[in-house]
Amino acid sequence: MVKHFLFAAFVATALSCSLDPTHDEAQSDLGDEAPGVSPGPDHRPGQPCLICHDGTTAPQWSVAGTVTGVLGSTAPLHGATVSLTDANLSTFTATSNEVGNFWIESGRWQPTYPVKVAITYGSATATMSTIIGRDGSCAGCHASTASRISPGPVYVAATAAQLSSAGGSP
Amino acid sequence: MRGSSLFYSVFLILIFVVACSTPDADSRTITITPDRASFDPVAAALDRRCGTLDCHGSRYRNLRMWGQDGMRLGLGDIPGGAQTTTAEIDSMYSAITQLEPEIMSEVVADHGQNPERLTLIRKARGTEKHAGGAILIPGDVRDRCLLSWLEGKTDGPACSQALLLP
Repeated sequence: MVKHFLFAAFVATALSCSLDPTHDEAQSDLGDEAPGVSPGPDHRPGQPCLICHDGTTAPQWSVAGTVTGVLGSTAPLHGATVSLTDANLSTFTATSNEVGNFWIESGRWQPTYPVKVAITYGSATATMSTIIGRDGSCAGCHASTASRISPGPVYVAATAAQLSSAGGSP
Repeated sequence: MRGSSLFYSVFLILIFVVACSTPDADSRTITITPDRASFDPVAAALDRRCGTLDCHGSRYRNLRMWGQDGMRLGLGDIPGGAQTTTAEIDSMYSAITQLEPEIMSEVVADHGQNPERLTLIRKARGTEKHAGGAILIPGDVRDRCLLSWLEGKTDGPACSQALLLP
């Protein structure tokens, strides 16, 4: 009886412990869901997806992010094609949804880094000038505003006129 | 009896005085650093492959790099924007040469022999655990670029070719 109790207490303690407080803090820093938005394809645009989508608390993804239309804007772009090429020249494409989100499940494509990225919307194409070294979360680097540590959101066109003339559609 | 106690006390004090030493305020460890003047092409290669925002171009890394492809030094600069500045190259040079200054000095004094004494090289080659994996393959252009700098004869063409690698 005592042995069973001790075993149960050990298991309960083990399950309640966190082995990665930094990861827990990163998840906590993401904050609550936006009002009226449930966890799903439309939630948390612009946030670093892979902090949760690592296979522990949510399905594991290899690459995921949010696409906006125009430089300097956070307005999402629906229907953009995100084309990725890894170090072995393996390629994969994904399409942004109505809030600009796209994601790739790890079971479908697991890139070998570094990865190169281009985004297309109609005739407009934006190619990322640098490589992705190891982080599949676009927002890990692409914060909501540009600064000396972030280029700002992922965008397709430099101006609204360029985007509208690109002729893309969701 | 009293005399022998005094003798032992003086003896012990002398032992402590002789055993203790204070640092020499004028002593310095002389280190030799790799050439700064020929570091620019090496910095460009490192910035491209190692200095991105999700790798060493991040304030969360112990070894930090600054440049066009990653974290910027100037408040007005953004990643992917203006070209790498001299101040950024200076900062990257300091970060790399001051990581293990004594070992770096030995490697440079030995003209780049046994470079894997440096953690920088072991991690870059993947012989020591590195989150970014093996970046340098011994003998490839990236490897030659970095090692030639440690040898004191930077291989500029190798560094240029390194920029073209994926």
